Amino acid sequence: MSYGLIQFVPLAIVAVMFALFMFSGLRNRSKQTSEYGFSGSYTGRVGIGAGIASNWMSAASFLGLAGVFYMKGYFAMAYVVGWTGGYVLLLVLMATQIRRFGKFSAPDFVGFRYESDTARTLAALISIVISVIYCVAQFRGIALLVSWLFGIAYIPAVVIGTSLLVSQVVVSGALGVTRNQKLQYFVLIITFILPLMLLTRKLGYFWILPQFGYGAAIGELQQQFGFNCSEPFAGTSLFEWFALCFTLMFGTAGLPHVLSRFYMVPGIRDARWGVVWGLFFIALIYWSAPAYGVLARLLEARSGVPLYAGGADAADMIILTAAGLGGIPTWAIGLLAAGGISAAFSTAAGLLMNGSASFSFDIYPHLIRPNASERDKTYAAKGFFLVLAAIVMVLTLQPWGMIAEIAALAFAVAGNTIFPAFLLGIWWPRANAAGVICGMLAGLVISFAALLIGDSLPLVAQLFPFTSSAFIGAPLVMIVIIVISLLTAPPSAAIRLFISRNVHDCAEE
Amino acid sequence: MNEPSGCKGLNFFNPRGATMRGEVRVIKLILSGWLAAIVGFQLFAYLLESSYSELLLNDLTFFNLPIQFWLTGQFLPLWFIILCVLFNLWMDRHTAPSQEGSLRFRIKPIQREDE
Repeated sequence: MSYGLIQFVPLAIVAVMFALFMFSGLRNRSKQTSEYGFSGSYTGRVGIGAGIASNWMSAASFLGLAGVFYMKGYFAMAYVVGWTGGYVLLLVLMATQIRRFGKFSAPDFVGFRYESDTARTLAALISIVISVIYCVAQFRGIALLVSWLFGIAYIPAVVIGTSLLVSQVVVSGALGVTRNQKLQYFVLIITFILPLMLLTRKLGYFWILPQFGYGAAIGELQQQFGFNCSEPFAGTSLFEWFALCFTLMFGTAGLPHVLSRFYMVPGIRDARWGVVWGLFFIALIYWSAPAYGVLARLLEARSGVPLYAGGADAADMIILTAAGLGGIPTWAIGLLAAGGISAAFSTAAGLLMNGSASFSFDIYPHLIRPNASERDKTYAAKGFFLVLAAIVMVLTLQPWGMIAEIAALAFAVAGNTIFPAFLLGIWWPRANAAGVICGMLAGLVISFAALLIGDSLPLVAQLFPFTSSAFIGAPLVMIVIIVISLLTAPPSAAIRLFISRNVHDCAEE
Repeated sequence: MNEPSGCKGLNFFNPRGATMRGEVRVIKLILSGWLAAIVGFQLFAYLLESSYSELLLNDLTFFNLPIQFWLTGQFLPLWFIILCVLFNLWMDRHTAPSQEGSLRFRIKPIQREDE
């Protein structure tokens, strides 16, 4: 990739894409509230699925996954399986039941189910922590793309990227622009797959289904360059693979912004079928992402570029590198850049707004200003949005890891805290506030244990790797919740009755 | 306000009532298929790698892709979609209509009863 030059054509495509989303959002703003709101007409199950997929597709899916395949080969399959398998857990264990609770956010659910303001506040704080970590991954993607588009260094790109994101949210808010998620999904999938088809065609592989066509490149890499990217557990262990995979699955079923999709669909049946469509749309990206990593590796090998020459930054930009080395037209590279920046912008904006909403509705009126009016809460949300953006920007200046790895930490936190709280909250009426508070605190400690004491206690780092701690962590947290709940008073009869009757439809036999 | 006596001690491993029993049974079946596929394919790849040469591993291909690449990266996501479809079909046929609507409006009467 050439740095130091402004990429005029890709920049123009990025600008056109954002203009398209703004125009579409303005045109549809009156319809949107009913589509994803609680009443009125909606776009159907395919539309709900596109909304789920669009909400899900972030820089981690668009840029990060191909980068991990490029760096780690088969090991990256843990991301594919983790990020798709989690939807099965979510659908069968939680989606339907969450709707039956009738609550509209993760802190709302925790506060209602466990009848505790402390548990609700803790869940809100954890939601903010998850949003911040997930946003750092998005901001890293934005900064790398801005750096490439404008030909500037990473640190100024972080600042410019943050300014652009905040400006977009402010302008969209001022104009009343809403996200047309269905359009956004279909634009994103085209910007991801069309350049891949062009690339595989240019290389002479089966380009109609590049998801299969890149298999020939794996053989070529092995035979001509001695590089085996399909070797299952080279340089890693079965435990590491399972730990990462299950952490991502538990995290998927516990991420507040993923769970929130189920509070906002008109009917349970539509919500369930929306998950199927959403999973199919997400799988389309994950069937394709490995191809970019493998083709980039092949093109670099053909050009004589040494392995891992560019480090994590280069790996996170590997889809653009593959497109550039493959010699596909500049407009197609621009499409990829536009898709990546759009995915990162929409996810980051959504997470920052979720985080600020958690602060203004769950923390500010309970801990800071008990008599806050609706107007005060709105100002608090706007102010906290800017504070969160600044915190994320400062954190992004530090090179924590690859985009997918940073995102995996957010999944680990969700898997260690929100997932056990929801799972036991739904399926074990005896779980109480004391149990869930201790459990969520234990989950936070487990999530950051490797970062805090991993150097002095290597066993902790091995058992709870920072990207994969929920594999052992989530069951441990459940044990904590169960033990503490059994040692303390049971929840009220009213909530147990509610769970029996309304959630599980259990009546006198 | 007490729990119905038939529902005491209800949890995932001790489902009560016909609806919950049926729902838990199908959830267990779906999760068994989910877990078996994830763990099974990785054990297959692990055993293949440790027992045979890398060459054999690369000779086993499906549509150009090494078999472990295809099974894990392409078949598993497809399998998850199939499991979700099966679960939804079962739920569509067996869930009581009263459980399918939004409960936003059903919570309030219960809270009133509690008061």
